[in-house]
Amino acid sequence: MSEENKNIRLPLFGIPKILPYVKKYRVRIAMMFAMGVIVSLIDSIFPLFTRYAIDHFIGEKTMDTAGIFTLLFICVLVFQAVLNYISMYYSGMTEMDVDRDLRDASFNHLQTLSFAYFNQNSVGYIHARVMSDTGKIGELVAWRLMDIVWNGSYLLFILINMLVINAKLAVYILLLVPAASLLFSFFQSRLVVLNRRIREINSKITGNFNEGITGVRSIKTLVIEDVIGSDFRKDTEEMKRTSVKSTRYSASFSSVITMLGSVALALVLAKGGVLTREGAMMIGTLSVFMTYAANMMEPIQFIIETFSAMIAIQANIERFTRLMDTQSDVADSKEVIAKYGDTFEPKKENWEKLEGDVEFRDVSFMYPDGNEMVLENFNLKIPAGTNVAIVGETGAGKSTLVNLVCRFFEPTKGQVLIDGRDARERSQLWLHSNIGYVLQTPHLFSGTVRDNLRYGKPDASDEEIMNALKLVSAEGLLEKMDRGLDSEVGEGGDLLSTGEKQLLCFARAILADPRILVLDEATASIDTLTEKAIQDAIDTVIKGRTSFVIAHRLSTVVDADIILVVEDGKIIERGRHADLMKKKGAYYNLYTRQYEEMIVNQYGMA
Amino acid sequence: MEKKKFETKRSLLLYFINGSKRWFALAVVFACFMSLLDLVNPKIIGYTVDSLIGDKPSALPAYLNAFAEAMGGAGVLREKLWLVGIAVVLVALCSAVCRFLFRLFNSIGAETLVKNMRDTLFTHILKLPFAWHSVNHTGDIIQRCTSDVEQIKMFLSEQLTSLLRIFVLIAMALTYMYGISPKLMCASGIFIPLIIGYSFWFHKKIGSQFAIVDNEEGKLSSIAQENLTGVRVVRAFGREKYERERFEKQNAYYTNMWIRLMQLMGAFWTSGEFISYTQLLTVLLYGSHLALIGDITAGSFIEFVTYNAMLTWPVRMLGRVIANLSKAGISIERLRYIMNSDEEQDVPGASEPDFRQDIRFENVSYSYTEEGAKILDNVSFTVKAGTTLGILGSTGSGKSTLMYLLDRMYPLPEGCGRIMIGDTDLKNIKATWVRKNIGMVLQEPYLFSRTLSQNISIAAENKEISRVHKAAEVAQLADAIDHFRDGYETFVGERGVTLSGGQKQRAAIAQMLIRKPPVMIFDDSLSAVDAETDAKIRAALNRNVKDTTVILIAHRITTLMHADMIVVMDKGRIAEMGTHEELIGKGGMYARIYELQMQQSQIETEEAI
Repeated sequence: MSEENKNIRLPLFGIPKILPYVKKYRVRIAMMFAMGVIVSLIDSIFPLFTRYAIDHFIGEKTMDTAGIFTLLFICVLVFQAVLNYISMYYSGMTEMDVDRDLRDASFNHLQTLSFAYFNQNSVGYIHARVMSDTGKIGELVAWRLMDIVWNGSYLLFILINMLVINAKLAVYILLLVPAASLLFSFFQSRLVVLNRRIREINSKITGNFNEGITGVRSIKTLVIEDVIGSDFRKDTEEMKRTSVKSTRYSASFSSVITMLGSVALALVLAKGGVLTREGAMMIGTLSVFMTYAANMMEPIQFIIETFSAMIAIQANIERFTRLMDTQSDVADSKEVIAKYGDTFEPKKENWEKLEGDVEFRDVSFMYPDGNEMVLENFNLKIPAGTNVAIVGETGAGKSTLVNLVCRFFEPTKGQVLIDGRDARERSQLWLHSNIGYVLQTPHLFSGTVRDNLRYGKPDASDEEIMNALKLVSAEGLLEKMDRGLDSEVGEGGDLLSTGEKQLLCFARAILADPRILVLDEATASIDTLTEKAIQDAIDTVIKGRTSFVIAHRLSTVVDADIILVVEDGKIIERGRHADLMKKKGAYYNLYTRQYEEMIVNQYGMA
Repeated sequence: MEKKKFETKRSLLLYFINGSKRWFALAVVFACFMSLLDLVNPKIIGYTVDSLIGDKPSALPAYLNAFAEAMGGAGVLREKLWLVGIAVVLVALCSAVCRFLFRLFNSIGAETLVKNMRDTLFTHILKLPFAWHSVNHTGDIIQRCTSDVEQIKMFLSEQLTSLLRIFVLIAMALTYMYGISPKLMCASGIFIPLIIGYSFWFHKKIGSQFAIVDNEEGKLSSIAQENLTGVRVVRAFGREKYERERFEKQNAYYTNMWIRLMQLMGAFWTSGEFISYTQLLTVLLYGSHLALIGDITAGSFIEFVTYNAMLTWPVRMLGRVIANLSKAGISIERLRYIMNSDEEQDVPGASEPDFRQDIRFENVSYSYTEEGAKILDNVSFTVKAGTTLGILGSTGSGKSTLMYLLDRMYPLPEGCGRIMIGDTDLKNIKATWVRKNIGMVLQEPYLFSRTLSQNISIAAENKEISRVHKAAEVAQLADAIDHFRDGYETFVGERGVTLSGGQKQRAAIAQMLIRKPPVMIFDDSLSAVDAETDAKIRAALNRNVKDTTVILIAHRITTLMHADMIVVMDKGRIAEMGTHEELIGKGGMYARIYELQMQQSQIETEEAI
């Protein structure tokens, strides 16, 4: 949270850093600015019409030029409306185009980053980089800069007009500009601080709601409704105090702005009045001056607000460019890309068939964000078709081996060999296309059942899909859904139960027909029938493939060709079930504990 | 206390606004003052132009004229025009003060309102029965409590007060304009309904396009979200290219929807300007004509143009406020749903009996929904005061439900049996009294975003640190805490350190122990700690909680075997009941499970040999 609010100063508000993404639109942006200037020019001219009406029509008591006056007025008006529309439209379009490009760029870049990045940054954090930083930057390029162009040129034109019409009177008004700017900057800086504080309290209050609702069971059993409630009221009280304080500043701010406008007006009236009475100035001119004087403060306010917004946006630019500058620590070499293609443009014609032999040769490994070797000179040969079970406590680091096999991470030392060749000799996509992965928390994408099942094999026919579903005994699942394969699964598969999602994930993995299968068993309790179906599905899926199962179910473990026991990130025991039981070590303890639960549950269900 | 129901949106709005009404009233008063004062300066300018610079008789309203006379009349003022300047500044100053006070009172009103809404909602939500929480989605409730509250605040504080102000301003300005020239006022006034109408129409359109854009943004956002959470699946299936195409497609579509919105907004602004300037042109031409034929003076012409310009913005705002009415209405409706849900209630005259008595379940049956399957079926047993009861059963056998019923998390409906504390029916006891006397440690406890020591002592009356330490020691958590850099002051929860499942469970045990309730329930709450720690905790408990009625739910027979009585649950029914020895003697389910668990370790022992 603190990082979100950190103040960052970049040269030129960080604009040079985003130039590469904006270059494409430079012609449009230049036109946008040019039109903005013309729009301001016309805006500053309009009071001159009033002046003419007063001085000529009323002063000289003749409507002789009314026709031309009207025509000219309408022409200028139409011209201005058209320009105004186009410049707004261009700004909007530029903002959106830049947004889109930045989002695409960041999203695509993320597809190439290694898991180290995803482990070190939460999904929420990365998501905000793609979805919100980009928006802020687009806003800067289009609207913020446009605001400066509009208001800056408008202010400039009024000042010039005033100087041209009556330099002496204009000088009095000009004196107000620096005073106003200083005052406004003072208020603005205070407001920025207070508004940041308000955002902080606001997120705290949202957190409170979250805690009150998700923790309601604990709150009720502990009977602490009053404690939680009064703490909540403290936060809302502070929110109220800070908000009112902020209003005191912003209200003074806006009062001062209008007040200064009136001071300018009074100056014009007092000084200009004398000039007019003496005949040195016409009434219409006086009126124009008054209009300018009164309208001068708003653009100054806008410009200052814009600058403070630009200061805030620097943080977004910094975070965005940091993401784009992050390089993947698992990258294919140039030679590999030349032969096998990259992530987005594979050269499948050069891909060899993968058999499924995996070997760890003298592998030492330390996570990029870790400070301790979790594997040291680890050696293990896994012939094609071997079934490896990995067991251990939650959080013990069971995924490490899997991460290395999948080349989500690369060994710090030593080699992982696939079919006898270093994994780095072939492209990531080649390897990944031959690996099936079933997660503990099944992950589906929103879309239809078919879309999801085809994820690993985009050209699978319905027949193949149905076969895969039958293999994991999930064909019954379709009958429950009203539109068969075309049924929507909802966001993240929310319309299905955990067990159903799990089965679909198995079917998806089978359909991809991978040579190597990685499987993270679910710990969540599901009903007995589904549990049985899943167990059968696992047995079917791993048959004939090299498989790595992060196992929680006893039967899976017992039948494994080799069991690896992990504790505190390290492999402390390895062997077959019977051998490990004899050792009476960590595996033995783990196994008996799970066994007790299983027995109670089995009897309950019997 | 009988909680009132809100029949209409209005009644809820009035209820919420209760404490802030006077602030809003004050705000409106100063807003009116401000508008009135804003109308004075054009008068002064008109007077200056006509009577001081020109030589027409004063056309000032009586109150301003009196003021002008007091300053020496037109003669003196003509020589000292700076006095007029000072008058203008003074009026502006008063107006600025009013503007400040208007905004200040408005803000106090709005913030009081928001605080009131949030506090009321939060307190209410905490008092809603647990059953309500299980059927309503967290995300949805939070959204109602945050964005909908914000929406209502915006509407009341920014739009409704400005609505009043706008009305006053329009009425006054039109009156003055009418005073200058009825004909010219009509010519200008004709545009007002036009501007309001078109602004309303546009905002409706913009509003619905906004909804589309929002929706598309949601889709794009969830594609990104799904991609990031499923990054392993994407990589493992090598589908980066597909993901990229999917994202870019939606991104392009979303961008187009935005651009369409931009077109609408652009059209709105441009046509707004166009109408306003057409109005100005009309006023200029017609006004000049009127001045020419001597109907109005040059000063009043300037005055009129100024009033006319003052109306432009408020009139456009009006259309927007009207268009937003429906949005606020929806938000109030969404809050009304929460506010109209029934809070937990005790029967009238609910008592507070001693809990150091026998607890009796008498023919208790229960299902969560009317027609749903029975979770509990005719369950009866007694827990003698001060003894320990063990409950063994499979997942879904109803053991947790039993405990929820005992803790009054769900009320036991009529005709479903009863639960007795001594001679008092549980339903006749105050719910908070029940929960104060029954300490329950949940299988998945929730820790609050506070420090460890605050978490442990959160429900205790006496929060002395020594008691916190003691509780942590008995719960076998003290060692773990000593390993944290900040010890007992370690911040846990969402914004702090994440504890392991076992540590959370032990923290929850400490949280209960410090309260020393007469009844303690451990709902499978030692499941995440290893057998050794489990044994240590039980031994420590035995030393520390004499005279306490304890209910232990577990899978592990070794956890339960020393209980004074053991109940074996199966599919909502009691399968067996008795002491460990009795149950072993019976040779039923318990005995078989025990045998299997023992046998298992024996086989292993044999294998080992």
